[in-house]
Amino acid sequence: MADTPEAIRKSVRTYLFVGGLLFLGTILTVLVATVPMFDVGGHGFDIWDAVLGLGIATAKASLVAFIFMHLNHEKKAVYWLFGSSLVIVCSLVFLTALAMGDPIVDHLFYSGR
Amino acid sequence: MEIPYVVTPRKDTGLFNSKIAIWLFLASEVMLFGGFFSAYVFLRIGADYPWPERTLPVLPGLINTFVLIGSSVTVVFAWAALKLRQWRKFQMFMGITVFCALIFMVLKGIEYNGKLQHQAVRLSDYSIVEGHLAYRTENDNLEYDHKGKKIEENKISIEASELSFSSMRFHKPWVSDILAQAEHRGSKIVLAEDIVGITEEGQASEEIAKAGEPLTVKLLERIRNLHLNARAHNVAYRTEALRQEWKLARATAGDEPDWRIAPTVNIDVEALRPRLIDEISTISFKVDPPARLDFRPRDIREGPGTSRLRDDSVVVGELLASPMVFENVDAIDFQFLAMRAEERGIDPEVAIENSWLLQNYPFAREAWVWHQGEVAKLRADLLERYGADSEGNPKRFPTHTELYRIGWKGLAQKAEDEGRAELGFGDKIKEEFFGPNYHARGEVTFPDLTVPREQVGFAAKFTPAWNTYYALYFTMTGLHGLHVIGGALVLAYYLFFGRAMFLSNPEWLANRVEVAGLFWHFVDLVWIFVFPIFYLM
Repeated sequence: MADTPEAIRKSVRTYLFVGGLLFLGTILTVLVATVPMFDVGGHGFDIWDAVLGLGIATAKASLVAFIFMHLNHEKKAVYWLFGSSLVIVCSLVFLTALAMGDPIVDHLFYSGR
Repeated sequence: MEIPYVVTPRKDTGLFNSKIAIWLFLASEVMLFGGFFSAYVFLRIGADYPWPERTLPVLPGLINTFVLIGSSVTVVFAWAALKLRQWRKFQMFMGITVFCALIFMVLKGIEYNGKLQHQAVRLSDYSIVEGHLAYRTENDNLEYDHKGKKIEENKISIEASELSFSSMRFHKPWVSDILAQAEHRGSKIVLAEDIVGITEEGQASEEIAKAGEPLTVKLLERIRNLHLNARAHNVAYRTEALRQEWKLARATAGDEPDWRIAPTVNIDVEALRPRLIDEISTISFKVDPPARLDFRPRDIREGPGTSRLRDDSVVVGELLASPMVFENVDAIDFQFLAMRAEERGIDPEVAIENSWLLQNYPFAREAWVWHQGEVAKLRADLLERYGADSEGNPKRFPTHTELYRIGWKGLAQKAEDEGRAELGFGDKIKEEFFGPNYHARGEVTFPDLTVPREQVGFAAKFTPAWNTYYALYFTMTGLHGLHVIGGALVLAYYLFFGRAMFLSNPEWLANRVEVAGLFWHFVDLVWIFVFPIFYLM
């Protein structure tokens, strides 16, 4: 992390640049979702729009985490803490996906019919 | 006492203590919001209704995203200013950050307000109408309830002549409300007949309350206490009698298993009766003279002569016409109806043609005809732009939403196409924030509609009650909003009360601002996902 006055002054320019990238990323996400010219995949919202939209969001979130939150040069303890929570969240989403792929699906089971 | 490791890092972690603490907290926050995002995916994929896509206003959401990104930049600038020991710059950047938080919450408040005032109804054929409810009028004047409030045209009204309350389950606020309504209409609610009963073992029957005594919560509570005493007393005797009978049966049954002798064990009710006292499970009242009482639809199951409230109170009287009246209809949505028709192998167009709305509401037919013209134009446009495959089928089709939903922008477009109502550019931008301008566009664009009660399948404001999409929307944006408020309060504290620490130990203040800044960046990070998921997908 920037600690000397010179390094901090230098990093301010990086913060400004990253802020600009975040603005651009946001505009791109809205364009992809609302302007037909930028629509990927089929017409309207589909899996490709979701992948692209969430991809841009992930890139933006990474910029925030690595640059603004200084994760690009942090101590090991922080990586372990944050990394383990991310692993748990990914496992949760994975388990959800497993439930979605459950082959035994009976929509009428709970309706009593 | 000196607090250790607030400026210098600990040797084992290499970090000052509060930084470890905030990362621990952020790790738990990642898992909390991760759980909600996971729930979102689960509920969206498994939804048994057309998931609302792009129904939230994009412009305020986009501005809020810009505001939060901007505040993330300024908070890191504020930290850098502290590191460079520039108090004025710190004040400026932190001031902008807190102001951004304020703008964010104001925009969110406007958005929430719009949702909480907006009504939706799913008719029994699964068509959906959205809009604003009308208020009840009497001789062309607005009618006010006993609290002095306007009455929305979404009440179940009964010309009540009799009421009975369950002594165990009566809900005090409802009793008070019924009393106030009757009083407002010049009626009294009094006991229909004397309540007499045995209240103590071995005593004669006595008068508990006299016919004509007015309904009060205290009276109901007194009777409930007597009822509870009687139940406790009687249960003790009944249990004891059953125990004795069981012992007797067990002694004479030899090796017979319990389950075989159980049906033969019974209490001698007649022998027990002299020792029991009277339970009073219901209390009946009459409304004198009969008066109109209004109930929220979710609280009552109405019937032609007798209706039952959720607390088991019974209202006897003529069920009055209780339609749901919209002052302005601003969306007609056949997506759910079409989905259900497709599931049953019925042509959605036929199902829509036979829907209650198209059969009984001329405006819906007009709008549907206009909408079909728009869909035809869209099909032609998609064909021209993306072409057809080798078999001549178009490569791209209108979405389900485009096919079957006529939103407020569609209705506004229809009126403009017909040259009946047009708004200026400034007013249209305003509509992006505050929703449709009913006054300026008038009834030609957003007309009224009366839905008979029997056609109402399910109705709710745009609250978590309406569907799981809105439940998640309010949960996640609400929780995020609380984070914004909490973070802004901490940042504002450093802005307004940080000067003394800046003069005595500026590095400590810089570390504190860094920690608060980490939280603020996390708030921004969560919004980066919330915005596309709820507003764009």
